[in-house]
Amino acid sequence: MTDTTVLEVVDLDVDYGTGGGATHAVRNVSFQLAQGEFVGLVGESGSGKSTLGFAIAGLSKPPAVIAKGRILFDGKDIASMSAEELREQRHGGVAMVLQSGMNALNPVRTIRNHFRDIFEAHGHVEKSEWDARAAEMVGKVELPPQVLARYPGELSGGMRQRISIALALSLEPQLMVFDEPTTALDVLVQHAVMDTIIELQRRENFTALLISHDLGIVLESAQRVMVMHEGQIVEDAPAHDVLRKPKDEYTKMLLSHYADPRGKVVELPGFEDRAERSKKGASRAATAAHPPTVSPRERRRDQKSIVVENLVKVYPPPRRGESEVRAVDDVSFTLEPGASLALVGASGSGKSTIAKLITAVEKSTSGSVHFGNLDVAKLRRGQFRSLHRDVQMVFQDPYAALNPLHTVEYTLTRPVVNFTKLRGQDARRRVLELLDTVGLSPVEEFAAKLPHQLSGGQRQRVVIARALASDPQVIIADEPVSMLDVSLRAGVLALLEDLREQWGVSMLYITHDLLSARLVTDNIMVLNHGKVVERGETAEVLQHPKDEYTVRLLDAIPNPRKVA
Amino acid sequence: MTSTTAAPRGVEGKSRSVAEDVPLRTQGSGRAARNALYILRKLGLFVLTLWAAVTVNFILPRLMPGTPADAALAKLAQNGPVSDATKAAIEAQLGVPTGNIFEQYVTYLHQVITLDFGVSYTFYPQTVSELVSTALPYTLVLVGVVTIIAFILGTLLGVLAAWKRGTWLDTLPTLSGSFASAFPYFWTALLLLFFAGYVWRLFPTSGAYGPTATPNLSFGFLGDALYHAFLPALTILITSLGGWILGMRNTMISTIGDDYVTFAEANGLKPRVVALRYAARNAILPNLTSFGLALGGVVGGSILVERVFGYPGVGYLLFNAVTNQDYPLMQALFLMITLSVLVANFLVDILYGVLDPRTRR
Repeated sequence: MTDTTVLEVVDLDVDYGTGGGATHAVRNVSFQLAQGEFVGLVGESGSGKSTLGFAIAGLSKPPAVIAKGRILFDGKDIASMSAEELREQRHGGVAMVLQSGMNALNPVRTIRNHFRDIFEAHGHVEKSEWDARAAEMVGKVELPPQVLARYPGELSGGMRQRISIALALSLEPQLMVFDEPTTALDVLVQHAVMDTIIELQRRENFTALLISHDLGIVLESAQRVMVMHEGQIVEDAPAHDVLRKPKDEYTKMLLSHYADPRGKVVELPGFEDRAERSKKGASRAATAAHPPTVSPRERRRDQKSIVVENLVKVYPPPRRGESEVRAVDDVSFTLEPGASLALVGASGSGKSTIAKLITAVEKSTSGSVHFGNLDVAKLRRGQFRSLHRDVQMVFQDPYAALNPLHTVEYTLTRPVVNFTKLRGQDARRRVLELLDTVGLSPVEEFAAKLPHQLSGGQRQRVVIARALASDPQVIIADEPVSMLDVSLRAGVLALLEDLREQWGVSMLYITHDLLSARLVTDNIMVLNHGKVVERGETAEVLQHPKDEYTVRLLDAIPNPRKVA
Repeated sequence: MTSTTAAPRGVEGKSRSVAEDVPLRTQGSGRAARNALYILRKLGLFVLTLWAAVTVNFILPRLMPGTPADAALAKLAQNGPVSDATKAAIEAQLGVPTGNIFEQYVTYLHQVITLDFGVSYTFYPQTVSELVSTALPYTLVLVGVVTIIAFILGTLLGVLAAWKRGTWLDTLPTLSGSFASAFPYFWTALLLLFFAGYVWRLFPTSGAYGPTATPNLSFGFLGDALYHAFLPALTILITSLGGWILGMRNTMISTIGDDYVTFAEANGLKPRVVALRYAARNAILPNLTSFGLALGGVVGGSILVERVFGYPGVGYLLFNAVTNQDYPLMQALFLMITLSVLVANFLVDILYGVLDPRTRR
């Protein structure tokens, strides 16, 4: 342990539960952090990275137990400190910023009171200085002092995350642990908050540990990167070494899933570049080394287009005295049978509202949506079924989209019975067929499972299988991979792409993730405040963006290759 | 490849600062106006519901066929013919509506405002207002004070139970609370009456004060009244405490899992501050609604408890009014119960606005 070492972790094991039934979340982890270092800790869900972060911050709570090893901060073992010692060391010690910074503030206390509580608890600021110091701290995260009088509910998500950074900073910590500090935020806001963190770290010179699932974000900001996989640190090296000569297979795999959507050629495992492919006239499954996920079949003969004309949706003012919200503002497009169109934009750009209008979940203010010769706005209660048979949704959150009490088989049997004439054994055969289509085999085994027994990627496949149950012509996929780990995304995207190519199912792909849009769509529309600001061929628009907003969206994408 | 692998993005961030989403909307003065508006809106709603309740109380009896006098005469007619004099006397006593419905409505409103509910049948010649105003203080003190004590005590125990989850501070109050509240009111009342009142003779078995005392505000009388109120109060406390403990404990456990509590701990706030200002402060909000309802029910008294202990409160009065078909008394009591539920809810609404900034918008 050298003079500049702030934190030393030695042979650390963190278990959930004790005895035989314990799961080992963190195994044999050892590393050191030097004063002023900015270190990234990357891993996918379940890798143990947050468990490790909480242990370092002295916030491990049952069932999490430090089973073995030491966490030495300033030469003292955090694990063996008493509760009061631990509390006192939080001033000038280890501070933590949580993932959901938007919920990290007490809704019934003003921001000023949050700062006062901290100053009162540690007594490191004179009482007469409290308000001045609080104003100084919010200034550091680029917020005006007026926010001190606000309640958390009156601030945006990005502002709240900035406040929680300022609060953690007011503890004058030597080490700041950021646990996914921008994950819950909108793309553009994420970018701005990350900039603030980087800037602060450089100016205040605290040691930072940035925990993230996004290798891109970490490689862009950290000097050193640790990669965590199944509870162990598999790689620990300077950032540009990790990028240019990764040693571990897992790190290589993670890196292979990054590409710059602006590139001339964009390829991912399982995806050859789209332009190359169309030159050859080949499908994804034919060109990629990966096997096709669905078997080819005859296209439906009654294929129809979705035609959207001058669509407008206006919501009443959210609060008294504010103006109404034009969520969708004069949008027109056509989705041809078998085509794929991306709708991209930051949150609040109106992209999900368009999906709701097409599926008749909400009524448009003006304009029209036609599916074939069916006017969606004029449908009456009983006619929704015919629309929903042909137009199906895949939702963003596979964790919320499945009823936790029903087995996969039950979840899939419902739409089969509702939309087709199959019953009994025939319906069951169809359910198993659907599971096979989305690549969940052995099918019998998956049919019997409950949602909690599945991984995020498997759940999303079940959601897609459910959408396919009615044999739809159009799939509207609303951010289908944004909640999934990077390594699982390509598989789900490949499935959607194969369904389109092999079955002729057309797809409206709603996302803020431009890379995935580049991989699975031919055409793109960029939405800002409900208006279409740019449209065209996906590859063309992303390589040569014309609108300033598109450029901002592209700039906000963390991309390790930019560093190289 | 540049050498600035460290943080190639930090610099450009400066120019953007917080050009982010939502601006800081209203200024300081706007908040005061918004608070006033919130109270005015709740007040308006309160007046409207009050008027509706009073009107329904007027319309309902008139939708029933016949008048109280008709009912009394029909009963007499079963035993033989009723003379005109008897008929006139009964009609004079019970009253027969005069004028059209609007005139009746105006008279009724006037009576409600001046608290003139006529004369009670059962306790003739006492007026309804006299009866109610004698019974009300007993109920308010007994049920009202006990409800408040039960809420405060139960909430505190609930906070403690949730904060010390899994220890004896959790299991003891939670188990004994739910055990005690599982007994019906009258059963607990009878047990207490039998042992503390009859077997051990520690407390009087009925009434609000001793046979020799006369109601006044002297210490002697107040002490006597408290002595008499003890057993009924204990009954209500025992049976209602468990509900408050469980309610608070359960909401508190879910707020303890919230991120702001974890963050407060990560910031090294003292455990007491985290428990009270962060966890309990938020957990109490949903329980206030139930407290409002309980307070509104106070005026109705606790019929069973007052009946068992022969306690002369509103509940006892209501019981008598119903068994004796004392219409004026019943009407006045129903109106009063409605009114107090409305007032209690209005107060809780205002309190909620004070305690939860999110409701003010």
